[in-house]
Amino acid sequence: MTATGPEEPAGRQRLHPLSPLLHGAKSLFVIVAALSWQTLSRLGPAHFAIVVAVVAVGALIFSAIGWWNTGYQVVARELRISDGLLWRRNRAIPLDRLQSVEVRRPLLAQLTGLAELRLEVVGGNKAEAPLAYLTVREAATLRERLLSLSGRTPPSAAVGAADPAAGAPTSASLFAVRNRDLLISQLLTPQAFFLPVGVAWVITQFVMEGSWTFVGIASTVTAMAGVLLQPIRRVLRDWNFRLARDPGGRLLLRYGLTETRNQVVPLHRVQAVRITWPFLWRLGHWVYLQLDVAGYGAPEHGNDTGSDRLLPVGDQHAARFLIGTVLPGVDLLTLATSPPPVRARWLHPFGLRFMGVGVHPDVLVTRHGRVSREMTLVPYARLQSVRVVQGPVQRMFGLATVYADAAGGRSGLARDRDLAEAWALADELARRARQARRSAPVSPAFPVSPPTPLVPPATPSVPPAPQVTPATPPVPSAPPRPVDDAFRQPPSRA
Amino acid sequence: MNQPSAPIAVDALQPWPDTVQWRPVSRKLITVEVIGIAVWQAVLVIGLGVGWLVGRQWGWLAGIAGVLVLGVWRATVAVRAVRAWGYAERDNDLMVRHGLLIRRLSIVPYARMQYVDVTAGPIERAFGLATVQLHTAAAASDARVPGLPPEEAARLRDRLTALGEDRAEGL
Repeated sequence: MTATGPEEPAGRQRLHPLSPLLHGAKSLFVIVAALSWQTLSRLGPAHFAIVVAVVAVGALIFSAIGWWNTGYQVVARELRISDGLLWRRNRAIPLDRLQSVEVRRPLLAQLTGLAELRLEVVGGNKAEAPLAYLTVREAATLRERLLSLSGRTPPSAAVGAADPAAGAPTSASLFAVRNRDLLISQLLTPQAFFLPVGVAWVITQFVMEGSWTFVGIASTVTAMAGVLLQPIRRVLRDWNFRLARDPGGRLLLRYGLTETRNQVVPLHRVQAVRITWPFLWRLGHWVYLQLDVAGYGAPEHGNDTGSDRLLPVGDQHAARFLIGTVLPGVDLLTLATSPPPVRARWLHPFGLRFMGVGVHPDVLVTRHGRVSREMTLVPYARLQSVRVVQGPVQRMFGLATVYADAAGGRSGLARDRDLAEAWALADELARRARQARRSAPVSPAFPVSPPTPLVPPATPSVPPAPQVTPATPPVPSAPPRPVDDAFRQPPSRA
Repeated sequence: MNQPSAPIAVDALQPWPDTVQWRPVSRKLITVEVIGIAVWQAVLVIGLGVGWLVGRQWGWLAGIAGVLVLGVWRATVAVRAVRAWGYAERDNDLMVRHGLLIRRLSIVPYARMQYVDVTAGPIERAFGLATVQLHTAAAASDARVPGLPPEEAARLRDRLTALGEDRAEGL
């Protein structure tokens, strides 16, 4: 798999000549925001315009020099990027570490026909080396080239199947999220509920104070927008969510209204999948799926800039279908878990019923959360390490927590298991991690036909066996429960 | 397909006592830890002492006493913590356990290793000790073995690297 692609590396290439203009526009926006309304009121509109113009010209010149000094080049199985003005930086990104590639097109880039290419590489906390901006065609070609160089998939198949001019390779559509569902689901978030309250509060403030200055209103609105407009931002971000699968078995996601994102994730790069049932979404039996790719880093709370959605909103049938696609051989309806021992109720008076862990043929399933329920699926083949942690209070009750670390930010978390069970679980996980790798070292997807399962964990009616052999993984202290109440209904539409 | 695991012992620091050969870390690590604590204590005590010389108030002396008591307590904890630290090389994974108040056990398969760090601070070096840390692709993985004699650290590093290359599967 050497780099004798269709075109030989054509030396160092520059980004698109319009990039400094776009960067300048972006920084101009930031600068105006930074100058804020305070400055405007102090300087007056004319002076303000002059200041902005000066800053804009400066930013433009700065970005132009940056553009001049930036170049990229594909050499063998490396992408080399050099940039920097004062501190020159040369980065060589080994493509066998490439996890996923994303083409982003912010609003301005859409207007000018440009795109930004972002690479996710292991070890980087943020997206490594965004190449901004390229033409859409260049970006698509480069993406295909990088992915084919990175891949365990044979490069000829991947390149041949792709149609670089179309922006998206020819692929089988898997799923599309209805925009109506997206809107309704975002109305059912706490922020959406607090928006009227916030607006009313601001209005009463102004009525009481009686000071209707433009600056005051503008500042308050800006401050509120950050928090309360999150649902709107999410709607804009996830608009027209489309999922597809290309012939090479990679997952293609595209979504976004003002900023379109076009993401390619090879299925064998998926480290974990998390399913969330937000409290209010239970009205529509909706769930939210996130997938983890190494390099996304730990998810920050309330950070919406990441690209870790697998499904922004969907019912359980959609979720089941997508999980079956991303993790072949995993059926959401059969993912039963067993709760921690009853004595853990002293630590979790309310949520105990909803915590649990299940050892399934291909994935470890952990779940928790009373109000907003979460379930994490970590394939054994992606386990990086297993930890058992016991705090002082847990020691009093003879409990311990088992962590199954994956390379993404999320790890499977079996909280407050019986200590003996925790050891057995840790041992079992380490063993299965080893075996999963051995059975499928090269194939891009996980084995579809699982090895013989130990205990059929998916039969909720089976009482715990009275005689448990020592080899059995975590001894369920109660009959395993089905996944979620929402899933108890007969799958009518599935 | 199941290797029967050993009879399970319900002790946070002694899982699988029959099959796993735990190796302790060097006792010299106690000295290193105590010196580290003592240095901080000295800095604090000197700071408080200067305060007392300037201010001549009883609060400063009480502070010094508190710092000293805290230092003694931390030293005793350090002694026990070092004794609790252990690691074991199994056929396919490295196990590390540590911690007294919060007890932790990490199991890291060799195949998932990304790289190995060997570090030695100035005090550690003076006592001929080194720390080996195993890194995986998961940031949460926590396999650090301090207080190893240099030859043992080198042996462990070489063994881990060899095994890692042998079974490298990356992600």
